[in-house]
Amino acid sequence: MFLKFFFELRAKELNIGLSEWLTLIDALDQGLCGSNLTQFYYVSRMILVKSETDFDKFDTAFAEVFKEAQADEEVTYQMLRWLDKEELTELITKEDREIRQKQNSEDAPIDKEDVETKFKQRLKDQTEEHNGGSFWIGTTGTTAFGNSGNYVGGVRVGGASGYQSAFEVVGARKFKDFRDDRVLENRQFQMALRKLRQFSTRLEIPKTELDIDGTIDKTCQNGGYLQIEMQRPRKNAVKLLLLMDSGGTMIPYSTLVNELFQTVSKSNHFKDVKCYYFHNCIYSKLYKTPECENGDWVDTDWMFRNLGSDYKVIIVGDAAMAPEELYSLTGNYRGPNGGLSGYEWLGLLKSHYKKIIWMNPKMAPGQAPWREAETAIKKLLPMYKLTVRGLNEGMKKLMETR
Amino acid sequence: MDNNFQSTAEYVASEELMASVNVAIALKKPLLIKGEPGTGKTMLAQAVAKSLGLDLVIWNVKSTTKAQDGLYMYDTIQRLYDGQFGEEGVDDIARYIKLGKLGEAFESEKQVVLLIDEIDKADLEFPNDLLWELDQMEFYIHETKRTVKAKHRPIVIITSNAEKELPDAFLRRCIFHYIEFPNAELMEEIVKTHFPNVEENLLKNAMDTFYWIRSMRDVRKKPSTSELIDWINALQIAGIPADKIRAELPFVGVVVKKDEDLEAVKHYV
Repeated sequence: MFLKFFFELRAKELNIGLSEWLTLIDALDQGLCGSNLTQFYYVSRMILVKSETDFDKFDTAFAEVFKEAQADEEVTYQMLRWLDKEELTELITKEDREIRQKQNSEDAPIDKEDVETKFKQRLKDQTEEHNGGSFWIGTTGTTAFGNSGNYVGGVRVGGASGYQSAFEVVGARKFKDFRDDRVLENRQFQMALRKLRQFSTRLEIPKTELDIDGTIDKTCQNGGYLQIEMQRPRKNAVKLLLLMDSGGTMIPYSTLVNELFQTVSKSNHFKDVKCYYFHNCIYSKLYKTPECENGDWVDTDWMFRNLGSDYKVIIVGDAAMAPEELYSLTGNYRGPNGGLSGYEWLGLLKSHYKKIIWMNPKMAPGQAPWREAETAIKKLLPMYKLTVRGLNEGMKKLMETR
Repeated sequence: MDNNFQSTAEYVASEELMASVNVAIALKKPLLIKGEPGTGKTMLAQAVAKSLGLDLVIWNVKSTTKAQDGLYMYDTIQRLYDGQFGEEGVDDIARYIKLGKLGEAFESEKQVVLLIDEIDKADLEFPNDLLWELDQMEFYIHETKRTVKAKHRPIVIITSNAEKELPDAFLRRCIFHYIEFPNAELMEEIVKTHFPNVEENLLKNAMDTFYWIRSMRDVRKKPSTSELIDWINALQIAGIPADKIRAELPFVGVVVKKDEDLEAVKHYV
């Protein structure tokens, strides 16, 4: 049974080696776990898991091995797809929220078992997508099941957590927030961006720094008489071009993108940083401000001419354009198309800049063929989710040498 | 286990944390502590030392610290100077070897608690350079051909703010504990160890406001335990009535330190 636990953990992509496993066996031999499961849980976690971002994976594996399966039915892939509607949370107004809170405090306690039984029954019976209804599992409805709904204290199924009202969150675990695939914060941005370093002493600059080790060496060789050595300062040679989507569907992520921008503009270790904005997709003009006002722009061609291919490019956007915005020659409804479709512009960008990545704050995990534009762009450009892990992977991609 | 770590009068540790410390001691492995700033990572080592009645050796790691600094330093410059002026004893290299914090902990006549504070500040390779020393509890001084071996294995506590990823090989050797931000219940206990006579109403109002500020999405630097303690101290000294805390936010500068964050908080009031 314990070996099963070991392999289950490794199957959950926890990088556990034999030495840690032997340490755990040692701890068991010494009786440090006592004879209770809770203590065993803590001791095995502190020995096997070395980062709070992995606690969640550990918890799932632990539950799988040591508890009976919690749910008989799995929430199907199809159902999660119906419920993947982040935009809807925008629609929920403040008053709604207040009403809900009031309900929450006034309502009689909800019978958990009753809700659970009904939920399972409905999982079995449901065959189509529902939004705003009062019986099936769906979004913005009034049943106890689904997400973004008005029912207080039901079962949340997928979707982003807007409020704390659902008393049972299917699949939610305590350390979920610590996973390193979650959306990241300012400080972590800084740490990730620091990876973009390419130190060079070959830049054509004068030798202005005192080479302390060299000086000591030379002085010692000189029999103790001081002999000074100078060297060129090491400078980061990385140039960065940041292109950010400020279209309507990006509004939920504005704080996040703003933080990324703040971090990039504050980090002084780049040789050069340039930032431009676009609306939904890149066409012949790039805007200088996030408001994307007509006239306040530069030609995309100008950028190609003036910012050489040694710039590393990060595009931030949700890649949620309508197909015609991406493929049509008149797809840009805010400005000129410049004779090419958005997709062709992206292709040009790719052929000009060798180091280019797309960071997407709401990228679907795995294949998501119903997100047509996202799938198409993913094929063209390496796309990562805007999370700690995604950004780190992206930085690695940008620093690859071939 | 005969030497068992318990919460002390000044330091409130969760069950889990106490278990981690005791397991680390029993298995003779370094204990790696992570957690938000202000959750008492550094204080832990002091509490462990106090609770077990041992001395504490602190090695503060900075961005320029090298593993070698913790072992020993060979003061060549001093020797060079002394050589130029013909001082006595220049031929005795041992005079110019100065032990670092790790060396100090190894050479100690009694068992000590060794705190390696903020290990992630140093260079990426830093933890790897200490693997052998922390495993075997010994190192070799090339210049004098002497091996420094720990007389009593120190209890090693390492803290990290997660600025950098620590190398796998290093992590494999550690016991890991993540200090979660204390919930209201534990926080109350912590505050009361500092101010046993704090007025209930004031404490409740201050804590509610504190968790409220922490929950604001726009507040970049989330206030931590130490800030709450300072704040309650200030509120007590000034004799602010409890019902005014949430509405007027007196001395809010103690809790919220950044200009942007202050603006954000005022926006909500």
